[in-house]
Amino acid sequence: MLSLASVTKRYGSLTALAGVSLNIERGEFFGLLGPNGAGKSTTMSLIAGLRAPDTGTLTLDGQPLNAGSAVARLSLGLVPQHIALYSELNADENLRIFGSLYGLSGSDLRARIDAALEAVQLTDRRRDAVKTFSGGMQRRLNLVAALLHRPKLLLCDEPTVGVDPQSRNAIFEYLEQLNRDGLTIIYSTHYMEEATRLCSRIGIIDHGKLHALGTLDELLTKLPFEEEIRFPATPATAALAAQLPAHGELTTTTDGLHRFRPHPATKLSSFFSLAESHALPGRLFTSQRPTLEALFLHLTGRTLRE
Amino acid sequence: MHTILVLVRKDFTNFFRNKPALLLTFVIPFVMIYLFGQIFGINRKDSGPNGIPLAVVNLSDNPGAAKLVDALKAEKSFRVLTKFVNPDKSTRPLTEADARALMQGSDAPFRFALVIPADLISTKTIGLRFKILSNPRNEIETQTVNGVLQKTIFTNVPELLAQSLQARAKDFLGDARLQKFNGAIAGAVAGTFGGDKAQIERDLSGGDFGISQLTQSPKPADPTLRRLDPTPAPARSAASVAATASAAPKSDPPTLDSHPSPAASAAAQIIKFETEQVVGANVKSPAATAIVGGWAIQFLLFALSASAVSLFRERDAGIFQRLLASPVTRAQILLGKFVYGVSIGLIQLLVLFFAGRILFGIEVEKHLGLLILVCAFAAAACTSFGMLLAAIAPNAEAANGMATFLIMMMSALGGAWFPISLMPQFIQQFSKLTLVYWSMEGFSNVLWAGMSFVQLLPVLGILGGITAVVMSLAIWRFNRGKIFE
Repeated sequence: MLSLASVTKRYGSLTALAGVSLNIERGEFFGLLGPNGAGKSTTMSLIAGLRAPDTGTLTLDGQPLNAGSAVARLSLGLVPQHIALYSELNADENLRIFGSLYGLSGSDLRARIDAALEAVQLTDRRRDAVKTFSGGMQRRLNLVAALLHRPKLLLCDEPTVGVDPQSRNAIFEYLEQLNRDGLTIIYSTHYMEEATRLCSRIGIIDHGKLHALGTLDELLTKLPFEEEIRFPATPATAALAAQLPAHGELTTTTDGLHRFRPHPATKLSSFFSLAESHALPGRLFTSQRPTLEALFLHLTGRTLRE
Repeated sequence: MHTILVLVRKDFTNFFRNKPALLLTFVIPFVMIYLFGQIFGINRKDSGPNGIPLAVVNLSDNPGAAKLVDALKAEKSFRVLTKFVNPDKSTRPLTEADARALMQGSDAPFRFALVIPADLISTKTIGLRFKILSNPRNEIETQTVNGVLQKTIFTNVPELLAQSLQARAKDFLGDARLQKFNGAIAGAVAGTFGGDKAQIERDLSGGDFGISQLTQSPKPADPTLRRLDPTPAPARSAASVAATASAAPKSDPPTLDSHPSPAASAAAQIIKFETEQVVGANVKSPAATAIVGGWAIQFLLFALSASAVSLFRERDAGIFQRLLASPVTRAQILLGKFVYGVSIGLIQLLVLFFAGRILFGIEVEKHLGLLILVCAFAAAACTSFGMLLAAIAPNAEAANGMATFLIMMMSALGGAWFPISLMPQFIQQFSKLTLVYWSMEGFSNVLWAGMSFVQLLPVLGILGGITAVVMSLAIWRFNRGKIFE
């Protein structure tokens, strides 16, 4: 459906995107995961036609996706990172304005507004000024404002920034429902949990480069370990920790936990034998599947929060 | 104490980083103080009005009349025009008909004309007669012109008065009896004060009573003659002239003092000014007509600049992203903002003029069609100004600071606060570069001069030109800037 081929975008001396190639299929829920400044918003703005690439091509359903292309704009819906609403106006008025810009009018527009407000549980607040809404309510309205014209592809640029968990969950459920109904979604985020929960395929981006691309399982196979073992960083575990770098990668989190990722050659049984030799009880240790966070660290050498 | 000092340092640091705040705190007051200082003549040798165009039609062959014209030319308050320029660039002396015709147009080269009639000195009456043609669309300027004109006449051509007396005496007494009378006076003067009796007699016959030697001194020594001098002081400021003069009835012969002395009243009887208002004679509430336009355009500029600055808020809120991702182009966003500005500006101007109608009786409905047209053009020019501000300023705060500075400057220079003729010549040169000046011209041409659509075209053309040029600059800057990114 959407194709990016060797797309590069520079701002002066800064290369925001460096030869990114990407194909997104119809009906996908694609996640673009990376820290702030990685190139996610630039990618979104190029797809949305807000900017033109310096090199490379973008196509939607085989048609060139040029900056300013009217056809492309009718096919796309953009949920900006900011609350892009007129705060002095009420929810109904905002939706009416944005719907009208897509040529909607009359009873059709009325019906779509009603459905949109119902979907994000804002029907009873439709006459209230947006500035009186909570952050979560504003985010929900921000989302449906991009859907009134029923786009084929929805671009969500970090749509849950500053949202409380309850509203975030409501947004997730709504997006999942839209995707089940056939809407293709590209979702940029720096929250590993969001990408893990929502996206059927994920692209990991940093410094304008797409470092990895695939389903969650495919991505995790790129890690040189299958399990991650965590245990408290205490004087009792210090001797064990001192020995572990010879068997794998050991990091210490700020909340006082050691995270040990064994080399492929290191068997879990040998780790626990070593722990037993230090008279450390098994209950101190927890093992879990590695996460996208670990993958990102492995691929880029830095964390998503950096 | 340390905490307080840290907090104070923080505020100073913020303040000096905030360029708009610096502009508002130091630059704008400085410029305004300078402008007002110039207007009120503070530390200025040439205080008072400057170069007000005055047409002089001299129909008299009396040498004193020519001397009066020279005196008017030497008066720095006036820029005297005595010639009519033919299409082939040749010139001829200005006639009263020329003056009347030239005072009608939107590009009238002058709003005041002094006609010195052929029968300046009549044998049938004692005294001098002058005619003043005026287009007094600005009350302060009109009173200033009247005051300066009287002062110049009184202080420069007193012998004309004496000639008038001689002419009347000759008609009344006959030539022989007058010569005998002059001879008797000359003998008495020569006998009492000395001098050549024959020369004194010739002087008396020619109207030279020696008054000019007294009236042309900075201040007459004789208290009686001082009372004849209607100008309280040569350096009297234009503002005080205006303030005093505005108390005088409009239709009366111009006087400078609301309580004239008996001698001044006598002078007013023997120098008669026939004032004829050539333009706007039927306008009700002329002062309000002039004032409302100036203030309306100033507040319109503030309102429309604030509206244009809202572009920054929309950008910061990400609304442009949403709009540009929909079937909306940058040009449409700017055009939408422009049309909104013109519409709200038009409404605001009309509301203010109708308020002027209710409060001061300005005859709005009489010229409604053309007034709407001028308001639309003025609103368009003001909107383009606001758009340019938004295009060149890096952020909303800077745009607001620049707006305040430029609007106050344009209002002062453009004549919204006071007549531009009160400012020094070099500052007046900038007046016509302001859209305030041309908007006020438009309002005045409609409400004051009652001009037709065709007559309004030059001003509309200039306002339209300002709009086109400024808006083009704004669009160019918008396309190069980052407001849409």
